[in-house]
Amino acid sequence: MIEAHDLTKRYGDKTAVHGISFTVRPGTVTGFLGPNGAGKSTTMRMIVGLDEPTSGRVTVNGKRYAEHRTPLREVGALLEAKAVHPGRSARAHLAVMAATHHISPKRVGEVIEMTGLSTVANKRVGGFSLGMGQRLGIASALLADPQTLILDEPVNGLDPDGVQWVRNLVRQLAAEGRTVFLSSHLMSEMAQTADHLLVIGKGRIITSGPVQEVIDGVLGTTVRVRSPQAADLAPLLQAAGGTITSPEPGALEVRGLTGELIGNTALDHHIALHELATQQASLEAAYMALTQDAVEYRSETAPPETSPEPIHSGASR
Amino acid sequence: MTATTSTPRPTTQLAPSVRPARPLVPARLDFAGVLAAEWRKLFSLRSTWWTLGLTVVLLTLMALGQAAAIADSLGSPEGAAVFADVHGAELVTGGYQFGMLTIAVLGALLITGEYSTGMIRSTFAAVPTRLPVLAAKALALSVLTVITTAVGFAAAYAATMPILSEHDLVPSLTDGTTWQIAGGATAFLVAAALFALGVGTLLRSTAGAVTVALTVLLLLPGILQFITLDWVQTLVEYLPLPAATAFVTVSEAFGGTGGFTPWQGAAVVAAWALVPMIAAAVVLRRRDA
Repeated sequence: MIEAHDLTKRYGDKTAVHGISFTVRPGTVTGFLGPNGAGKSTTMRMIVGLDEPTSGRVTVNGKRYAEHRTPLREVGALLEAKAVHPGRSARAHLAVMAATHHISPKRVGEVIEMTGLSTVANKRVGGFSLGMGQRLGIASALLADPQTLILDEPVNGLDPDGVQWVRNLVRQLAAEGRTVFLSSHLMSEMAQTADHLLVIGKGRIITSGPVQEVIDGVLGTTVRVRSPQAADLAPLLQAAGGTITSPEPGALEVRGLTGELIGNTALDHHIALHELATQQASLEAAYMALTQDAVEYRSETAPPETSPEPIHSGASR
Repeated sequence: MTATTSTPRPTTQLAPSVRPARPLVPARLDFAGVLAAEWRKLFSLRSTWWTLGLTVVLLTLMALGQAAAIADSLGSPEGAAVFADVHGAELVTGGYQFGMLTIAVLGALLITGEYSTGMIRSTFAAVPTRLPVLAAKALALSVLTVITTAVGFAAAYAATMPILSEHDLVPSLTDGTTWQIAGGATAFLVAAALFALGVGTLLRSTAGAVTVALTVLLLLPGILQFITLDWVQTLVEYLPLPAATAFVTVSEAFGGTGGFTPWQGAAVVAAWALVPMIAAAVVLRRRDA
């Protein structure tokens, strides 16, 4: 169980995390979703005491991380690939970590097996690929068989097999009753792995809840309507229970109504329609919609990956 | 804003406090473990072996070179006068000014190597109270410095023996002065290592820490001695290497007649080790890793 209360972190005059509160419960995989620079890594570093909160408090199983007598047993953390000295072998790195907690060499061997590092365990980490570095980070996190796992972008750099492996691993760990908190900037990855989502942007929680609820909340079907009499149509649709936004004159974005009902309403009132299109947004589109105001480093040229068109402001909550 | 995840979905539902059925991995964090980890860290890096090996080689070769040069001088009446009161142990330990450089690099790398590679985050995740890490590093480094210096001096003793015996300068192992010089030089190297470790912790950068350590240990005494202002010369006396001459040398030729008694010199050198270490401990606790 991870509990954050009004957690804030400022670096100089830049606020990385802005008074966030959340609870991550045992027995579930909780996804921490947000664009790069949203504050995910900072939050995770604060959980394990690497960064000191400017204000607020975060506890793991009821205590601040540093107050636990056996920290690695409480939380296993993968905070970034290669938080490791490149001159040491994978086995030596794990042995060093294990030594602090008097964990047996046998257990070191076990996590090497579990993470598929057996063939490279005696090689120096400096020559590892990003994927192998991730596996070593996960091995390190699993070392003391912790009750809580914090994995920052664990699938980064992994091949498809590795991604599948991480997915199965975290699901299994959650099924064993552990708390699993993993971050990603990939909505599609989260949709397949997490039970719950915590969506963060610009240091604030945007939304949270069970994965399907979050997706439905964002993706509630939108119908795009174009009509010379849009101004007359809008109040009629509103009366019928729709939520209307007008991205430009003569166009409406309608949520909560079907295209069929909109078409019939227009016909009944002799309103001409030039366009009536139901928008099918992808998961990524939902995510873009959620975080579009919260992206810290937006590329100017890359169009959002959506089909057939991006959801406009009507979709943000 | 509060966001709370609700109950687990049915397929994975378990009481929150349920631990896995299999036995826990035995684990317990204490200082002995942290010390063992630091010890393992040292010996699992090639750079440790390089610096230690180089230290032994420097201690041996520099002693040999110095002994040969002085033996040569003793052949002339002028030289014999200059080195009349020289003690054999001063020659055996003569390489300490070079050994201090490699030992200081090792001390700095011990912590800056962790900052530059990101290892420090793994280290502090395992030992979130942090101070035991610094204490364990200081202890492991001190022990390793003592062992390395002992090996280096023993090798220097063996290597210089033929030359020293010709001039009846072989230091007696029953002579207290021999042990004061050898012990003093060893303690000085420990202090140099801890000074570099403290500076390294404060600066977190290998280049910065090595530069500061070498400047204070080696460059400043050498450069400032040419500025013959009184206050500058007083300042120079308080630098680590000049202060150390109060207890690692006894003869006039080696500068053993400085302003300090051996214990005063030792106190000044100890301060150079302790002040950066204390500052490092204070900063380490509060700083983001």
